[in-house]
Amino acid sequence: MRGLRLGFGSTRAAVLAVGLASAAPVAAIEPAPLPPLLYTLPEAGSYELPVIDRVGPHSLLDAEGQARPVLAAPEGGVALIAFVYLHCTDARGCPLALASLQHADRAIAARPDLRNRVRLVTVSFDPGRDSPEAMRGLRHHMAPKGDWRFLTGASQADIEPVLVDFGQDAVPVMTEQGSNTGLMRHVAKVFLVDSEGGVRNVYSSGFLDHRLLMRDLETLLPGG
Amino acid sequence: MHATSRLLGLVAAAALFTASLPAAADETCQSPYLPKLEGQEDYVYIWTLGIEGLGDGSDKVVTVGVNPKRPDYGKVVSSVSVGGRHEAHHAGLTDDRRFLWAGGLDDSKIFLFDIASDPAKPKLVKTIDDFVEKSGGVVGPHGFYALPGRMLISALSNSGDFGGRTALVEYNNDGEYIRTTWMPDAAPYGYDARVKAELNRMLTSSFTGHANYMRKLPELMGDAEAMKNFGNTMVVWDFHARKALQELQVPGAPLEVRWALQPEHHYAFTTSALTSKLWGIFRNQDGSFEAVELADVGDPSKTPLPVDISLSADDRFLFVDTFMDGMVRVFDVSNPRKPVQVYEQKIGPQVNMVSQSWDGERIYFTSSLLANWDGSGGDDAQFLKVFGWNGEKLTPAFEIDFRAAKLGRPHIMRFGKIDFGKAARLDAPGTGLQPS
Repeated sequence: MRGLRLGFGSTRAAVLAVGLASAAPVAAIEPAPLPPLLYTLPEAGSYELPVIDRVGPHSLLDAEGQARPVLAAPEGGVALIAFVYLHCTDARGCPLALASLQHADRAIAARPDLRNRVRLVTVSFDPGRDSPEAMRGLRHHMAPKGDWRFLTGASQADIEPVLVDFGQDAVPVMTEQGSNTGLMRHVAKVFLVDSEGGVRNVYSSGFLDHRLLMRDLETLLPGG
Repeated sequence: MHATSRLLGLVAAAALFTASLPAAADETCQSPYLPKLEGQEDYVYIWTLGIEGLGDGSDKVVTVGVNPKRPDYGKVVSSVSVGGRHEAHHAGLTDDRRFLWAGGLDDSKIFLFDIASDPAKPKLVKTIDDFVEKSGGVVGPHGFYALPGRMLISALSNSGDFGGRTALVEYNNDGEYIRTTWMPDAAPYGYDARVKAELNRMLTSSFTGHANYMRKLPELMGDAEAMKNFGNTMVVWDFHARKALQELQVPGAPLEVRWALQPEHHYAFTTSALTSKLWGIFRNQDGSFEAVELADVGDPSKTPLPVDISLSADDRFLFVDTFMDGMVRVFDVSNPRKPVQVYEQKIGPQVNMVSQSWDGERIYFTSSLLANWDGSGGDDAQFLKVFGWNGEKLTPAFEIDFRAAKLGRPHIMRFGKIDFGKAARLDAPGTGLQPS
């Protein structure tokens, strides 16, 4: 078993990761400060976010086990939808997506012009292990300040059509002998979707930064 | 709750070093948005031009086994023809590595192959035959660069005058048109487009239009007026906004662009085909960029014509192929402003494309540039040649004669792995997936 690659990260990050990984249960966490961006963000509204794709209506279970629409953008607003699984060990995958959403959650909650027009949605693609109860635990730790839903499926069959529609890959990682490792190979993606199902942007590592997400929200949702 | 605890630890860690994460990539020249293929590749997919009278004469994707541990090592595993000749040139993988997009520079058709269902046998699943119409008159889909959920296509020409003015065109992964971004008036040519995600910057380079690239090379080179119609510029873009920020003067058709792969390395390399120079594109303190001529590639007076380049994952070695003399030259670019040529080797007539594995231990070369440019030196050999690289020299592994095999002119190469199909193996990490 190989350890998490942290050689490219900061020592502080490595210490924190190891420290928290060994300390269960974990209380709610707050997002850590980010290093400054190496570029100037484009001005809101100075660029376009055309519809890339369209996704249809889907229903999954929320953290209370109640059926909820995946595409849950408020009327005239948008949703940020991230696909994750709780056993992810790839710092550049689900943890990065969750960290970015947590930053976005705080930033949106502080913006009266946005907070009622943006919904965050975290969807597990591993419903066999990520039950509503597990998602409830994740919600507790993420401690949302705004509108943030945590969804999963009753079974893998519930999730598959959603993954196909969004174009989200998630493949089990097997050993050479063919047994399941419990890990999944996937490209971590966050989807920015408008209330009509139009996908307006897709973010993966490299551009998965809430400061860029916020600029896109300001571009799509100008004014108050 | 152990899994959740570990996840939360990583959430906190990810928030701290978001900006310093290295971009994922596979064979070092790919989009940073692809799942990484770090280990031994199983297949190389080669987009191949058909030759009239040779085999079925059609353009095709040829799949070659390249894993020494497999029985198909060194063999052609499959060949999928698309029917007809379209000036097959470049191809690229989608952001999930499930599809290979391959373009035709002549009629602007784009072919989408499913390589996930059976990685040994790509299957043609869609043909885009209205690219020119949809894009608003863009001709010659050249580069295929994966973005999250979509494909960025850098083109070469336009349907108005078939000259070099061109655009960047985006499609979603289903093959549906999204938008066209024309090159700026001051730098209208196109060729390559590469993104440095940490900087939100894209670099584009420039070649020439359909009227030139479809002509016989000797005829073209004898036409002084036509030879003026090559690009001499690169463009720095705000990638997220798709806004051109800066035009750089790089005389002589700067072609392939390679950003340094290490996160703290804020520079890129290119070579100019007609002037045979190695160039560096460096970020200034104020965030702007400068183009710096770094070195000759061979003897520029003999026009060796540098074509494809490949940078090692550690940003140390830059491989530069030159079409006219069939050579590869390796530069040590550890000091990017003072590259030193450390090795050269004759690969074979009209060598063009070069790709390397992520670990830098395997180097792949193919012949063929353009159907009407091949054979200009009198020898129209067509090959795939595979070498080992130990940091000092190339050692032959195997080669396939594409003429003898009645396949055609092999051009771009993309790596594949069986595990990127329906299931992954523990030793086949995905996007940074590091089992622990």
